[in-house]
Amino acid sequence: MLQCIFLLSDSGEVMLEKQLTGHKVDRSICAWFWEEAISQGDSFKLLPVIASPTHYLFQIVREGVTFLACTQVEMPPLMGIEFLCRVADVLVDYLGGLNEDLIKDNFVIVYELLDEMIDNGFPLTTEPNILREMIAPPNIVSKMLSVVTGNSSNVSNTLPGATASCVPWRTADLKHASNEVYVDLVEEMDAIISRDGILVKCEIYGEVQVNSHLSGLPDLTLSFANPSILNDVRFHPCVRFRPWESNQILSFVPPDGEFKLMSYRIKKLKHTPLYVRPQLTSDAGTSRLSVLVGIRDDPGKTIDNVTVHFQLPPCVASADLTSNHGTVNILADKTCSWSIGRIPKDKAPSMSGTLVLESGLERLHVFPTFRVDFKIMGVALSGLQIDKLDLKNLPSPPYKGFRALTRAGEFEVYNE
Amino acid sequence: MAPPAQFQRSTSSSQPSGKGEVSDLKMQLRQLAGSRAQGTDDSKRELFKKAISFMTVGIDVSSLFSEMVMCSATSDIVLKKMCYLYVGNYAKGNPDLSLLTINFLQKDCRDEDPMIRGLALRSLCSLRVANLVEYLVGPLGSGLKDNNCYVRTVAAIGVLKLYHISPSTCVDADFPSVLKTLMLKDPDAQVVANCLSALQEIWSLEAGTSEEASREREAFLSKPVIYYFLNRIKEFSEWAQCIVLDLVAKYIPSDNNEIFDIMNLLEDRLQHANGAVVLATIKVFLHLTLSMTDVHQQVYERIKAPLLTLVSSGSQEQSYAVLSHLHLLVMRAPMLFSSDYKHFYCQYNEPSYVKKLKLEMLTAVANESNTYEIVTELCEYAANVDVPIARESIRAVGKIALQQYDINAIVDRLLQFLEMEKDYVTAETLVLVKDLLRKYPQWSHDCIAVVGNISSKNVQEPKAKAALIWMLGEYSQDMIDAPYILESLIDNWDDEHSAEVRLHLLTSVLKCFFKRPPETQKALGAALAAGLADSHQDVHDRALLYYRVLQYNVSVAECLVNPPKQAVSVFADTQNSEIKDRIFDEFNSLSVIYQKPSYMFTDKEHQGPFEFSEELGSLSVGIESADNVSPAQRVEASDNDLLLSTSEKEESRGPSSNGSAYSAPVYDGLTASQTQLEPAFQNQALPVYSPQDGLAIDDLLGLGPPAAPAPPPLKLNARTVLDPSTFQRKWGQLSVSLSQECSISPQGTEFTASEIAEVDNGSKLQLDVYLDEPKTPFNDDINGFDVLSFWRSNWTRFLDVARMAHDVLAIPVSTVASKSSFSAGGHVIDKYLTEPVDDANDMADVVKHVLLMPKPNSERGCGPIGTPQASSWAGSNL
Repeated sequence: MLQCIFLLSDSGEVMLEKQLTGHKVDRSICAWFWEEAISQGDSFKLLPVIASPTHYLFQIVREGVTFLACTQVEMPPLMGIEFLCRVADVLVDYLGGLNEDLIKDNFVIVYELLDEMIDNGFPLTTEPNILREMIAPPNIVSKMLSVVTGNSSNVSNTLPGATASCVPWRTADLKHASNEVYVDLVEEMDAIISRDGILVKCEIYGEVQVNSHLSGLPDLTLSFANPSILNDVRFHPCVRFRPWESNQILSFVPPDGEFKLMSYRIKKLKHTPLYVRPQLTSDAGTSRLSVLVGIRDDPGKTIDNVTVHFQLPPCVASADLTSNHGTVNILADKTCSWSIGRIPKDKAPSMSGTLVLESGLERLHVFPTFRVDFKIMGVALSGLQIDKLDLKNLPSPPYKGFRALTRAGEFEVYNE
Repeated sequence: MAPPAQFQRSTSSSQPSGKGEVSDLKMQLRQLAGSRAQGTDDSKRELFKKAISFMTVGIDVSSLFSEMVMCSATSDIVLKKMCYLYVGNYAKGNPDLSLLTINFLQKDCRDEDPMIRGLALRSLCSLRVANLVEYLVGPLGSGLKDNNCYVRTVAAIGVLKLYHISPSTCVDADFPSVLKTLMLKDPDAQVVANCLSALQEIWSLEAGTSEEASREREAFLSKPVIYYFLNRIKEFSEWAQCIVLDLVAKYIPSDNNEIFDIMNLLEDRLQHANGAVVLATIKVFLHLTLSMTDVHQQVYERIKAPLLTLVSSGSQEQSYAVLSHLHLLVMRAPMLFSSDYKHFYCQYNEPSYVKKLKLEMLTAVANESNTYEIVTELCEYAANVDVPIARESIRAVGKIALQQYDINAIVDRLLQFLEMEKDYVTAETLVLVKDLLRKYPQWSHDCIAVVGNISSKNVQEPKAKAALIWMLGEYSQDMIDAPYILESLIDNWDDEHSAEVRLHLLTSVLKCFFKRPPETQKALGAALAAGLADSHQDVHDRALLYYRVLQYNVSVAECLVNPPKQAVSVFADTQNSEIKDRIFDEFNSLSVIYQKPSYMFTDKEHQGPFEFSEELGSLSVGIESADNVSPAQRVEASDNDLLLSTSEKEESRGPSSNGSAYSAPVYDGLTASQTQLEPAFQNQALPVYSPQDGLAIDDLLGLGPPAAPAPPPLKLNARTVLDPSTFQRKWGQLSVSLSQECSISPQGTEFTASEIAEVDNGSKLQLDVYLDEPKTPFNDDINGFDVLSFWRSNWTRFLDVARMAHDVLAIPVSTVASKSSFSAGGHVIDKYLTEPVDDANDMADVVKHVLLMPKPNSERGCGPIGTPQASSWAGSNL
């Protein structure tokens, strides 16, 4: 089990140290780790699980903050990593972000949180809703309250009743002035398009995010019009398994606030909303690059935030690229981004220009991969549709809201 | 002037002058200690915060101890928490002062607010001062009986902490049995889970010394307990579920119905949002179905989707951990994943460790139907900006080519790589082309045409250079200017730093000489001269050998360097399957990520499930008391205990055991002296299986699990709606893409449908199965029969037997006289020989050790002795 958790700043300084067992892990392990990270050039490139001379280390990096956990025994690696991820999520939730200053300003809260989340190396609860009842988040409201009431404790005096109830993610008695529930479908499209323009792989990873502010102990059922297209699903612990198994209905008692109800994967999609056609020709020391972007399969909504990123090969000495729409930026490390924004209806945006190769090279043999970003509001590209949302056990009819959003995940186009 | 000033200010807050601030803090705290005025809490809080921030930065604030304790008499819970944190950090160093805190902590343990009771109890247990344990027993006892579950949760872990400080106090107070009752009765799942983890740890540490504890430990794996946990699994938090699932994975069900019941109940865990739960469940499934070949395969089909989803969701770190597990499974059963190859395509943004794993998987899953797509994709990476990955992917292309699917296309692509004129691409490709030519000589014509165009000046990497030189020598009759290239290389002999290249150069020149004597004669002379003068021993020796053989008889020399060559059919595997099996046994642990079984990277004491090493803590500052060392010894004792009983079990089971690669029947035909050695082999081979075996042994020896509460008809909850048969049917309907062609056996082997019937749940021994095989008729056709390729293709069916065949067939023909290899002459140190002769007699040495010196602890005896030599043999062609 985990023996110690460290939080390191982006300069390798120990911001926080939480010893979990009787075996005290010395700080020098952090110094060892940091040297290792520097020798790799970048802590991002370091393996998430590494072995130091004395301990096995799990590490994740979030917004420049490194979460480091040490252990000396065999344990499920995913348990360590998953736990650190949850710690990071909870901290973001509490502090409204994650950076060195926030952690230093609020280290007492971080200690308190860690204290409740893990004891003697065994993770206890990482459910934000329960934690919030034990330790109040440091927000403006509570600051105001403390000024007004003179009670400056940010710890609630009541214990979470939920630990004893049968729905551990929800307090028994919640009251909201307005009852509302929002369901968002958020999808990410991963695609690879080969140099012949063929769609090699196209997949959607989606999440059903729910934001619920409902009183009492409501019972919700959510059904899809076409659940058969889902390839694989994962559920929040609140979802009952049997109704899904028999009728593909999501039946659940929601936690309060925002949570991820379900995530799913849909394989083998046939179309992408955009086409991107890069073309590279080389001749006698210079190459000509042109990229065309356009709408292939109109999703019915506007395609926003379109950006094309690529890395120029190291043998390119200089590049001169212009576009008829949007702006082109070339950074010193030869990464190039062309931000198009919204795709105009009347013309297809294009970018073209010349690349001057290093002297001695005739032709370009290394080709960049083009990564495309986009965002489409109001559409779930997988075609997944919510049929209806029923609510039971509610004093008054609530407001229900639905939204959908698709954005590019790893959308890659190989050069022609 | 500004920067220096700033610099000074910044140092003032750190270590050296931190002292001043600490004493300031001390003064202020002292002033506040007695005050009861309004607003004191706020100012106290500021001061506490400062103290703790000093502590966090690493400044020693232990001098504030008494003041902090004095100030902590407050009702403010945040203050209390900060104070507990502080006290917990420094108590170990100030045992005397800690006594001060005991009083207020004990008082808080009786507070009416359960939160404060819990916090106080937790801090009390975290003090970890040995001479204060007497004050712990009372609060812990009442904590365990507290009517609030929060306090009980804390108390359960508190018992464990107490145990680590003073095992005897903990056992004397009878806490373990209290925990046991709580574990089986408590309505709150978190309390149950904490009891479980505490008890597991306590009993496995106690097991070495106390009979009762080891019996208790085994009782965890009894049916009533396991069923109790399984029935409540949905109440547990996700982390507690992981702990329970880990326990269930060690359970050995008595019959198939039980297995289906458990799988039924756990199936929905595969869709849990927490990856750790999903992986723990997968481990349970894989282990439960080891004995059922067909279901085991369905399990693979079932877990495929959740694993792939886990990879694509979540952060990079998570997806790496999952990928490592997926990698293990893919390597065991590549056929089953061959239709999902697109999931292993690399994304540009992925870190290179992820890409590497994916490339390996792509290589493994390649088959007739998908090779074209995979190679196309790999070629994209080869042209990519990321150099290390470009190299890896070229190697991957080569590996796929060696698997003999669709070679035509692949050779074309490889040759295209050579035209890319990138140094590293050319280098990698050359090495591959060489390997390809050794396997498929029929391609030489196409390859040579392209390779001939490469200027040797552009090839710098030793491996690639050696490959190029090899080809120059081997195909010198087809390459017009081969002798001249070689000659120019020899001219630069002194600039060539790699011995490997020089060795190849010697051989190639000689080869070339026999094919085109007049053109090469001069180069050969130069090469031999340079070689004889070489400082590297091997190069010198080889040059000398060639020189003398040429002097002795030219035709012999020709036989030596240009023997008729057979195409290599198989290149040696890098990792043997025994190790892979062990890693599989340790699924869902660090072993998978390191791709090594745990015995290869953990120390012995760390293999005990929950032991922390104090010796290793060279980094730790703590002064460890004597009783901290004893647990380590205890574990060692228990290890020995296990070993002993394991070998006992092996003997009592006799020929029916098939767990180990070196089980009795395999050696039946060998000499008696070898059978004698067997227990020694097993002693070393088995510790890894300990948990399960431990249980089985005791069953056999009649110890059995203790009389558990008389089992009422044990049933898993009726929530399982499927009966075993429908369940199996349902699983059978999963799109088993390849079930007709292959299926997975417990050992990760592939069977054809007819063979499954024969192997029948693995109840037959592999050797028997092999002997029952229809014999290959011995007739004229037999010349076409290649015994090596027979074992290659049937390797997966007869793992152990094949490994033996591997050893036997790979015994190199040696010219060393047998008498001399068994003579101890080489070991006698006299004035001419100051160290034992090593290399040549190594193999014979090992045999000798095994035959003559039956020491159970000899480290050499435990590995498959032929393997290292065998692989180097298979890999070299010279």
